[in-house]
Amino acid sequence: MIDFIIRPATINDAAFLADTIIEAEKSGTKKLSYSTIFGLTEAEVKQYLIEIFEEEIEGCELSISSFVVAESNGKVVAALSAWAEAIDDTPSAIIKGNLLNFTLPKECIEKAISVNKIISELHVEYLPNTIQIGACYVLNEFRGNRLLGALNKIILDTLTTKHPNIDTVMVQIFSCNTPSLKAFKKSGYTEVTKKESNNKDITNFLPSNAKFVLKKDINK
Amino acid sequence: MERQDLINKLTTIFQTTFEDNSIVLTDELTANDVDNWDSLTHMILISTIEKEFDIKFKLKDLNKMKNVGALIAIISSKIN
Repeated sequence: MIDFIIRPATINDAAFLADTIIEAEKSGTKKLSYSTIFGLTEAEVKQYLIEIFEEEIEGCELSISSFVVAESNGKVVAALSAWAEAIDDTPSAIIKGNLLNFTLPKECIEKAISVNKIISELHVEYLPNTIQIGACYVLNEFRGNRLLGALNKIILDTLTTKHPNIDTVMVQIFSCNTPSLKAFKKSGYTEVTKKESNNKDITNFLPSNAKFVLKKDINK
Repeated sequence: MERQDLINKLTTIFQTTFEDNSIVLTDELTANDVDNWDSLTHMILISTIEKEFDIKFKLKDLNKMKNVGALIAIISSKIN
């Protein structure tokens, strides 16, 4: 039996959190949207994500404070992020956009302009005053220990205690990510909507041409 | 730059970025009032404003902006 410590993430976990975002974005494929949209290598994406974490602006998927991690023998082996959406009226998309603009070189932003219209076809707005699940990732050798369930429970307990009026948790998952879809449905999430793009070029930039939004009522 | 000139220039940037010529800027306008105001489009919007007005926002300035009125105030303080 392996013992795990579950705790809030800190800046010392930034490299693992960057890996978590990268793996979650790829959704089991080799397509990393941060690379395809901004023209960056995976190593460059990781470095910029770490720089963004160092700014630590709360309230979005790129905030260290949105993450909890599981640790085994001093090594971080899993992470999951969630945040309360637009709790102070600022959508997390604005916070994320500000961080990207502040951190990325201008040529990356210029490149994004040319593909924004295609990418936005799969955009689904985060619903204010809900909890949004972001990225999750477990190192291969530590899978099968129900770590995501444990991380999920702790982060939801923390957020619902802090924001008692929130009664819904939501997650957006690419259609190609069958294991995640199955796992969330098994734990009580139901499908709210499916957004699909018929643009054949979209899979040049994103892992899939469709995205599901799932939700679950929070038991008080 | 006069406030109205600034608003006119900003309106063009908003309409081009969101591909929506019906956008009318008011001080109270927020991301919740405009379709497709996602993170990528917001990043492009802010970057275009910086380029067109030849300014650079501080991250703390950006995170204080709650509406277009606040955005206009910060741009004014930087260019005047």
